[in-house]
Amino acid sequence: MLFMNRKRTDSNRLIVSACAVGAFALMLFLIPSCKKKPKVEPIDPPVEGGTGVSVDLTTVPYTKLSDYRFFQGEMKNQTPAEKVIPYQPASGLFTDYAHKKRFIWMPNGTMATYNGDHNVLELPVGAALIKTFYYDDVQPAGTTRIIETRIMIRKSSGWIFANYVWNTEQTEAYLDMNGSYTSISWLQNGTPKSASYRIPNQTECHTCHKLNDEPIPIGIKPQNLNIDYTYDDGTQNQLQKLIAVGYLQNTLPGNIVSTVNYMDQTKTVNERFRSYVDINCAHCHAEGKHCSYRPMRLAYSETTDPINLGLCVEPEEFINSNLAYIIKPNDKNRSMMYYRLGSTLPSERMPLLGRTIVHDEGLQLLEEWITWKQTCN
Amino acid sequence: MKINFTFFLLLGMPVLSQAQNTCATALSVTPGTTYAVSAVDGTDVPTLVCTTNGTGQTAGEWYTYTPNADYTVTITTDLPASGGADTRFHVYSGTCGALVCVSGDDDGGAGLTSTATFNVTNGTNYTIAFDNRWTSAGFSFKLTETPIIVQPTPPVTFTANSFPSVSGTYGLATTDMNGDFLDDIVTVSASSVQILYQQISGAYITTNIPTTTTMFQPSWSMAIGDIDKNGFNDMLYGSGSGVTFMKANATGTAYTEISGTEYVFCQRTNFVDINNDGNLDAFSCHDIDPNVYYLNDGSGNLTFHTGGLGDHAEGGNYGSIWMDYDNDGDQDLYIAKCRGGASTAKVDELHRNDGGGIFTDVSVASGMANPSQSWSSAWNDFNNDGWMDALVGASSTDDGGHFLMKNDGDGTFSDVTTGSGWDVNPSLSIEHVSFDFDNDGFTDVMGGGNKILFGNGDMTFFPIVYAFSSGSVGDLNNDGFLDVRNGSTVYMNNKNSNNWITINLQGIQSNSNAIGARVEIYGSWGKQIRDIRSGDGFRYMNTLNAHFGIGTATVIDSIMIKWPSGHIDQVNNPTINQPLTVVEGSHPLSLLEIDGKKIALYPNPTTDYLTIENYDLLDASSIQIYTQLGEQVMNTEKKDAKISLTGLASGRYFLVIQTKNGEKYSESFIKM
Repeated sequence: MLFMNRKRTDSNRLIVSACAVGAFALMLFLIPSCKKKPKVEPIDPPVEGGTGVSVDLTTVPYTKLSDYRFFQGEMKNQTPAEKVIPYQPASGLFTDYAHKKRFIWMPNGTMATYNGDHNVLELPVGAALIKTFYYDDVQPAGTTRIIETRIMIRKSSGWIFANYVWNTEQTEAYLDMNGSYTSISWLQNGTPKSASYRIPNQTECHTCHKLNDEPIPIGIKPQNLNIDYTYDDGTQNQLQKLIAVGYLQNTLPGNIVSTVNYMDQTKTVNERFRSYVDINCAHCHAEGKHCSYRPMRLAYSETTDPINLGLCVEPEEFINSNLAYIIKPNDKNRSMMYYRLGSTLPSERMPLLGRTIVHDEGLQLLEEWITWKQTCN
Repeated sequence: MKINFTFFLLLGMPVLSQAQNTCATALSVTPGTTYAVSAVDGTDVPTLVCTTNGTGQTAGEWYTYTPNADYTVTITTDLPASGGADTRFHVYSGTCGALVCVSGDDDGGAGLTSTATFNVTNGTNYTIAFDNRWTSAGFSFKLTETPIIVQPTPPVTFTANSFPSVSGTYGLATTDMNGDFLDDIVTVSASSVQILYQQISGAYITTNIPTTTTMFQPSWSMAIGDIDKNGFNDMLYGSGSGVTFMKANATGTAYTEISGTEYVFCQRTNFVDINNDGNLDAFSCHDIDPNVYYLNDGSGNLTFHTGGLGDHAEGGNYGSIWMDYDNDGDQDLYIAKCRGGASTAKVDELHRNDGGGIFTDVSVASGMANPSQSWSSAWNDFNNDGWMDALVGASSTDDGGHFLMKNDGDGTFSDVTTGSGWDVNPSLSIEHVSFDFDNDGFTDVMGGGNKILFGNGDMTFFPIVYAFSSGSVGDLNNDGFLDVRNGSTVYMNNKNSNNWITINLQGIQSNSNAIGARVEIYGSWGKQIRDIRSGDGFRYMNTLNAHFGIGTATVIDSIMIKWPSGHIDQVNNPTINQPLTVVEGSHPLSLLEIDGKKIALYPNPTTDYLTIENYDLLDASSIQIYTQLGEQVMNTEKKDAKISLTGLASGRYFLVIQTKNGEKYSESFIKM
C-alpha cells in the first residue's frame, strides 16, 4: 500500500490526501482551486509518504530539481532525504576534475536485483539515480559551486534523462536538456585550473548511456559498489547498505569481482588501470556500445586479457605513424592511447565527451601501466 | 682491397669496436653477415631523415657498404637476435657532410623493426646510419645482396616540400581562396586564419588574418565555398558541438564569424546548393542526431534546418558526399555511416535528389544500404562508362570490409569488390577520396596505410605505398598533377609524361564555385566525368578545380560543363597541359550546327521569351517543353523562333525540337 501526500509550496499549506492504490496503478489528483491566486497553479507532484520524495512517473521530469524533494534543508548542502542513499563507485569518471555526489532512490516496496558483477543492477520502475557535479575552491572567492544535477529515472518504458542546471544563487536547479557551456576556474590541490565545462544535452547523455540504442545507467554495478562508504550512521559496504535499506535483493554471490579506486596506491597498477579504463572508457568501448567497432574491450570483466586493452594491437584509425600500437609495452611515445589521453583536440582526445582538459593523474596511471607492461603478454 | 684490409683490421682490434660512432669512422659491412650493435650511442647524429617519423634522435651508428656489382640489396633489423627492437635507419650516397638519401625505413619489419630493399650501383659508396629515434637499445642487422630485381615503378612519385611558414591548429585545406584558381594552403586556428596564397610564379605569399575567437573550430572537418558570391571563398568549421561560418569580406582580407546556436556533433561538412537556387547551402553530418543543413537565401542569411537528409534518430552520419549518381543534373547525397552494437545507425544511406528540394531515400532499392563501418566513401567514374561509381571505405572490419560498387546506370549498384584489389587491401581508414593522381585517365583512390590505389579503368586497382598519409589534395605548383598536404609538408607530385587538363569554373547563375557542376571531357578514350565537390573524404577540403589526366592522348575533342543551373557550356579542342577557365554561359552549347551556323537558345536563363537562333534552318515539326520531372508543359507547332514562356513557373526546363524527319534535339534552359 502506497501513501502519498501533496504539498502546496506557494502557501505553505499542507493538503494531505491519502488514498490507497494498487501497486502499479497511477494516481490522479484533483487540485482544489485556490481562489486567492488569479492564475492556474502548476500541478504539484505527489509525494511519497515516509520519505517525502516525489517521483511521479506521469509527470517527470519536473521543471525544478527541488520538486523531487531528494534533499533536506538547503538544497545546495545536498543532504539527502530519508531513503535517498548516497553511493560512490570505487573509481569515478573524470569530467574536468568536477566533484560528484551520487544518490539512489527507489519507491517504497521496490528493490533492485543482482544481475552479474559487471552488469548494472536491475533497478525497479520508479527508481532514480541522482548525480550532482560541483567544484570546490572556485576562483576568485574559493567557494563551492554546484553546476548541474543529472538524474536518470526508470519508467516502465525504460530509462529517461533529466538534467538540472543550478542557478547562480545555488538555490535551485532547472531542467535543461539542450546542453550548454559554463566557464569555471578553480584550485586543484592548490594549482589553478580552468575549463569550459560542458553540460550535456539529451543526445550527449544518450551517447554514453546506452546499450544497443537503449538508455542505461553506467556506474551502479556490483563490481563498483563493493567497497565501504562512510554514511551518517557509520561505515558500511555499499552493497550491504543497499540490502539493509531494502533496496537490493539479498542474492549476492559470496565473491564479487570488483574494481578498485584507481588512486589507491595499495592496489596493483594493473587493477588500478583496469578500473580506470572501465569507468572512463567502457561505456563506448564494449559490446553493443557506441564504438564497439573498434578493437578495444575496456570493461573490467574483459581486460584480464590485455589484448582487449589494445596491448600490441595496431590502431585502426591513423593519427600519425609514431603511434604504431594502441599500447606498446614500455613505450608511451608509440602508444595511441597515451597520445589520445594526453590530447585536448576534440577529434583526437579520449574520451571524446565529458573531458576538455587532460586528466594528469589518469595519464600518469597509463604511463605507469605501460612501463609496468614490459611485453605483449 | 683497402676496404677489406680495414675491415679485418677492425675485427682484430676490439679497441676500435666503437669506430662506427661517426660517419667519418663508419664500419664497412660484409653482405650476409649479421652484425650485433650493442647500443645506439654514437656521437654523430644522423640528421638527414630518409624515412618516416621525423626527428628526436640524439645518437647514431654508422656503416658503409660499397658493392662490387649492381645488386638489389636488403638491409633489415627484422632478425631474431634483434629481440623486436624499435629500430630506424637511413641509407645515403654522397660523402659525410654532404649525404643524399637513397633509402631508409622505420617500421617496415615485423613489430617495429626496419627493413628496406633498394637497388645499388657497382662501386658507389653507400652510408648506412641507424639512429635512436625510439630507443638506444641494441639490435642486430644484416645486409644481403641478390641479383638485380627491377623494382616496380610507381605510376608517379612525390617529393616532400616543407613550407616552414605554415602554422596553426587545423591544416585541413588546399583550396583557392581568392578566385585566381591557384590552390592555396589554408590553416585555421581558434582566432586566426593563415593562408599561403599560391602565385602564378610558384611562390607563396603568407598571410595571417586575425579573427574573432570562434565559437566552433574545424575539429572534425571543414568545407570551403563562396556563399555570398563576392569572389572570395568562405569557410565552414565543423566542430563536435556546432557549426561556424567564416565569411570573407569584399577584399578577402578579413572574416566575419557566424556561429550557429544549434548543437551539432559535426562529422563531414559540405557546401552544396541543396535547393538549386544558385546559392550555396551548407550540410553537416551529425554523429548522434539527424543530419542538419543551413539554407542560404542569397542575402547572407543561413537558416538552420533538419529533416529529409538522413533522419536516423541515433545519427551515425560520418561521411556525406554530394554527387550525381543518376546523371539527372542535380546533386544526390550518399552518407557513409558507422555505429557500434546492434544499432541500425551504421547502415549507409543514398538520397536521390528529385528536384525542388525533394529527396527520396533509395538506399535499399539502389543496393547501397551497406552496414559496414565506414567514415567516408570515394566517388568517381572508375571505369569511364559515364556513371559515378563508389568505393565505400571501411574504417573497421566489424561489419564487412571495403565495398567497391559499380554504378549500373539504372539506379542500382553492383558489388564488384571481389578481384578489384580492394578485397585484398587490409588498410583501413576514415579517409577515402578519389582523384586521378597519375593523370592516366583512370581515377584512383587515396585510402589508409599511406596508399594510393591506382585505378586501371576497369574497376580494378593496385596499391602503391607512399611516405605521406591522407591529407588535403590540390595542385600546389600548378603543374596539372595533384599534390598531397600533410600539415606543413606538401608532397609534390613529380609528374610523369601523361597529358592533362585542369578545368576552372566560374559560376554566374549557378553558385560561384560551380559546386555540383558535372564536367565531361571527350576524346579517344571516350568520356571522362567529374563532379565539383566541396567536402569529400572525411575531414579535409581539397581543390575545387576539375583535374583530368588523359594519359598519352594528345587531343581533347570537347569539354562539356553541365552547370547546376541547367546551363551547358561546351569548349571544343581545348589546349592540353594547361588550365582552362570557363565562365558560366560563355560557351553556350548549340543544339547543332547547320552549314556552320549554330542552333542555340538565348537568352538562357531567361524571363519571358526564349529565342531559337537559326531556327529557320531546321525543318521543325514541333517544339515541346518539359519540366525536370518529365512533365510536358508546352507542345506547339509554332513556326516562330520566339517562344513565349508566360505561365511557366520559375525553374529548369528542357526544350525538345522535333524535325519532320523524326530527329529530336533537346536543350535545357532556366526560366527565372
